[in-house]
Amino acid sequence: MSELVRLTDVTKVYQGGITGALNGVSVSVEKGEFTAIMGPSGSGKSTLLNMVAGLDRPTSGGVAVGGTDLGKLGEAGLARFRRDHIGFVFQFFYLLPNLTALENVLIPAQLKGNAAAGRARELLERLGIKDIADKYPARMSGGQQQRVAIARALINNPTLLLADEPTGALDTHTGEQVMELLGQLHGDGQTILLVTHDAKLATRHAERVISVMDGKIVDDARLQSPERAPSDVIRVRGEEATRWGP
Amino acid sequence: MSLKYGVLGLLKGEPLHGYEVKNRFESMLGGTWEVNIGQIYTTLQRLERDGLVRPVGPRGDRGKLLYELSPEGQKALDQWLAQPDSGPQQLHEDIYVKLLLATRIANGDLGQLLARQKRAYLQRLRDLNRLEERARRDGRIDLARLVRGALLHTEADLKWMDELSSEHFGTEGAKPE
Repeated sequence: MSELVRLTDVTKVYQGGITGALNGVSVSVEKGEFTAIMGPSGSGKSTLLNMVAGLDRPTSGGVAVGGTDLGKLGEAGLARFRRDHIGFVFQFFYLLPNLTALENVLIPAQLKGNAAAGRARELLERLGIKDIADKYPARMSGGQQQRVAIARALINNPTLLLADEPTGALDTHTGEQVMELLGQLHGDGQTILLVTHDAKLATRHAERVISVMDGKIVDDARLQSPERAPSDVIRVRGEEATRWGP
Repeated sequence: MSLKYGVLGLLKGEPLHGYEVKNRFESMLGGTWEVNIGQIYTTLQRLERDGLVRPVGPRGDRGKLLYELSPEGQKALDQWLAQPDSGPQQLHEDIYVKLLLATRIANGDLGQLLARQKRAYLQRLRDLNRLEERARRDGRIDLARLVRGALLHTEADLKWMDELSSEHFGTEGAKPE
């Protein structure tokens, strides 16, 4: 595997408060990895994601994605970088209400000057929502809206898919389905960085969990997936048979 | 206690031999509780002694002896099922005592203890997720529900570690460097 993202001693200071600030974060992400970033509210995990996305610039330190040093890009260059390399999925979907599902998915492609209606329909099919291609967001469920948002994030074949609490506004079951989808994309080779509160869901699909606290990375765990016997994972145990009586 | 009632519950369906009880019990538990045949025989003998089960047919080879639920056994099973678990919460794992000691011992290194434990819980969540998936794939919804309970417990353990580290690092952060 090769390195896709590298943060070097990244610090972000926000004027008037420390919430969400970063304090000397260095980390790298390999191509093809599914990494979850976890931490309490205000720990800086979303800030970290925004740095990688080129949505925000560090106060000091370097961010490189696919060998491109984002600090060397101007605003236009950064916008191009985001359009060509980053797919972003948000908690609250952010679909344009006056466009259909298909039209929403096509926005990033149109910004790039690509006619990608074929690929958009393919994506809708792959994400199990081809039936709602012509529906407007107000007529969709939360889960459908998030799927449309994921299709939109994928339309330009991003190097990196970033998801900030993508299940945060969904009920448990729908959240599981959306995460399942991310797991499938990862299975197909997509590099994914996910910010989430839900450790149950994160560990189902992500193979790496980075814990952020007070703007610092406090743990970086790579999870193993060996086949384990059920009794090595759970022991259900009452009192021993020999303990009751006489 | 639940081996006793587990056996009663299995006999409610139909009379069974000791080996059938063992196999069905282990299969019901999906491999999360292995019992040896000796435990099963001991349990059946005690249940018979207490009048909760009785042998069916002639008493021959122990392995071939069929047991069925008696009316008293049926009653005991119904009562047990209706009774909520209201005893003290069981905290079996070492972390609870480790935590108490790490807080007392000057170089107990609470931060490291929490970080390592947290990592173990993350790995456990992953293992449980895989087990739940497998149970669902095998059509064992009952087992998947059991694993789901374990997942939620482990999630709570993880939140507890986070709360403790937040407290811990918070105190540390307040000290001048």
